[in-house]
Amino acid sequence: MKKFLAILVCKLGHFIGGFVGKGSSMPGKFALKICPYILRQVTLPPYIIAVTGSNGKTSTVEMIAAILRSEGKNVVYNEEGSNQIEGVTTTVLTHSTFGGVMKADVLLIESDERYAAHSFKFFHPTHFVVTNLYRDQLTRNGHPEWVFDALQPAMFPETRLILNADDPLSSCFGVGRDNVVRFGLDRCSLSTEEPSGAYHDGAYCPVCKSPMEYRYYHFNHIGAYHCENCGFVRPDSVDYTATDLDLEEGLLTIDGALTIHLAFRSIYNVYNILAAYAVCRECGVSAERIGKVVNNYILKNGRMVRFLLGAHHGMLLTSKHENSIAYDTNLRFVRSTEDPCTVVIIVDAVSRKYYTSETSWLWDIDFGQLNCEHVEKVLLCGQYASDLAVRFSFTDVPQEKIELHPDITEACASLKERGAEDVYVLTCFSDRDKLLSQVEKEAV
Amino acid sequence: MELRFLHFYPDLMSLYGSWGNLALLRRHLEDLGNTVTVEEIRPDQEACLEHADFIFMGAGTERSQKAALADFSRFGDEMRRAADSGVTMLFCGTAMQLLGQSITDAAGKYFMGVRVGTFSSTQGKKRFVGDVYGHTDLYQSPVVGFMNSCTLISGVVTPLATDLSMGFGNEQEHGPEGFRKNNVFASELTGPILVKNPPLMRKVIAAIYDHRGEALPETLPTYPMEEESYRIACRELKARAEKP
Repeated sequence: MKKFLAILVCKLGHFIGGFVGKGSSMPGKFALKICPYILRQVTLPPYIIAVTGSNGKTSTVEMIAAILRSEGKNVVYNEEGSNQIEGVTTTVLTHSTFGGVMKADVLLIESDERYAAHSFKFFHPTHFVVTNLYRDQLTRNGHPEWVFDALQPAMFPETRLILNADDPLSSCFGVGRDNVVRFGLDRCSLSTEEPSGAYHDGAYCPVCKSPMEYRYYHFNHIGAYHCENCGFVRPDSVDYTATDLDLEEGLLTIDGALTIHLAFRSIYNVYNILAAYAVCRECGVSAERIGKVVNNYILKNGRMVRFLLGAHHGMLLTSKHENSIAYDTNLRFVRSTEDPCTVVIIVDAVSRKYYTSETSWLWDIDFGQLNCEHVEKVLLCGQYASDLAVRFSFTDVPQEKIELHPDITEACASLKERGAEDVYVLTCFSDRDKLLSQVEKEAV
Repeated sequence: MELRFLHFYPDLMSLYGSWGNLALLRRHLEDLGNTVTVEEIRPDQEACLEHADFIFMGAGTERSQKAALADFSRFGDEMRRAADSGVTMLFCGTAMQLLGQSITDAAGKYFMGVRVGTFSSTQGKKRFVGDVYGHTDLYQSPVVGFMNSCTLISGVVTPLATDLSMGFGNEQEHGPEGFRKNNVFASELTGPILVKNPPLMRKVIAAIYDHRGEALPETLPTYPMEEESYRIACRELKARAEKP
């Protein structure tokens, strides 16, 4: 009876919530109050795929859903982004019969790193993808090792782990256990002998803290690492491998056979595709089928928006504030373009979910990448423009290229009046609408 | 002057943009006409603390902190001598805990510190996180920063920030934060605390000059962007602290 009531309340709550525009966690919260063990009592689909990590969760989940749906599978996932236990409960119960049977072939969950252990208290994923663990939102997360420790209890023995072999910390989840598959990128044209970035999180082994060596780096501390002291190593061969990558041509080859054209030529996109590929192959989807879906795949989650501002063609590259690797990746993308451009960086509200004045993360971002000829101007905008200016004074970007515009509206107006060069805007969800309200959106 | 900086464990203890402290301090001292050399010291490398003008260590994870301590213990005697003789130091984030008597980790394991101070640190499974707005007896204007720690620090007699209107201090909300002894400055406040707090930067510079027996120039260069950042942080955090 309690089960029926919990499902009814959840469905009703979700229905009403849809009208009043309320979040997706409240109905699940009520259901859990009525029946705390409801998730244990529901019959779940044969595939329960969880995706977590600092960067790329939403994009990876979106691609996994697109691939599995192309196979005719009924995929249910928490598209509304509520990724703690209440949100997961809402997703499960609103897609269940009143008898408690979930109407889906696959339950796909984007899971918050810190709360995964709690979210999966009542049922365990069959597959758990960890995209990476980077420095991300210290205001919530502390540091990557803290997140690792919080996530560890959710790595159940029967769950198949799908890990990024090139990221030393998330790869540690596979140490000393079976039931692990890995994805990674072989040495390719963009690999380097030296790490990039403002800090080096691969300098010491995450297992024993001895100095770690690398055969090559792809970006920041992501690459082929090995520790002489304890033997922790990026395996020579991984289960699902990007065997070739040409970002200039936008071509990715997986396992030497499958060629994918990249709609967005960023290393980010490559790892998200690899993660989605790995888990879908584990679920029995053929390489060809995956290739068809992800070839030229354009993400629908709005992380990248094209726009017009006066005579300028612009591109918004959503970069999570408090996440230096997200910024670094987008800065690297701007650097890889060739036409003259202006770059706009907006830091006005550090987060959309909570207040903080914390700006130390600016010192972790490799803004020096903008020191290249085709970047003609850099506009620093928002309340924290002066913090950005101090940070930029420690890069080689010439001071005469830098303009300060604390007022975002004024910055857009000023750009509109001059020139026709490309514009790249780097900012977070918390600040992007302050730009988007000033420009004319274009179809991607 | 020719100034000698020691930067301990630049990769191991490098969370939250700690390096900004060293970079900005160096720039300010060079702007005053000094030459600054920075010696980076990694585990197992030799270092001579005698005649150092500034000793710095940034924040690290709790595991990195233990690896740093395992190496840093060999400098205990030299550190205490340097602190007593007035050498200027800044220890940020978890590095501050190394200066105390002991660290007990979340599993209850005990580690001995280098005993520059008499305080003890106890780590737990909960993090104290949030913006900080407080005051110090070093100067009139506020101290701003961000606390992100899983450690309670007890036994500090001479804190850096004497009271907080907002945020977590060493042991409790609104309690004193950090540690100070002679010219040793230490704080759990994350990141580039000297960048965020220009008055503290001036105190550190004054301490370096004082230890050398040199007088500070009467007029110091101005840094409008740094002052503006500080002004905004003070304004925003004060408003937040006073919010009922």
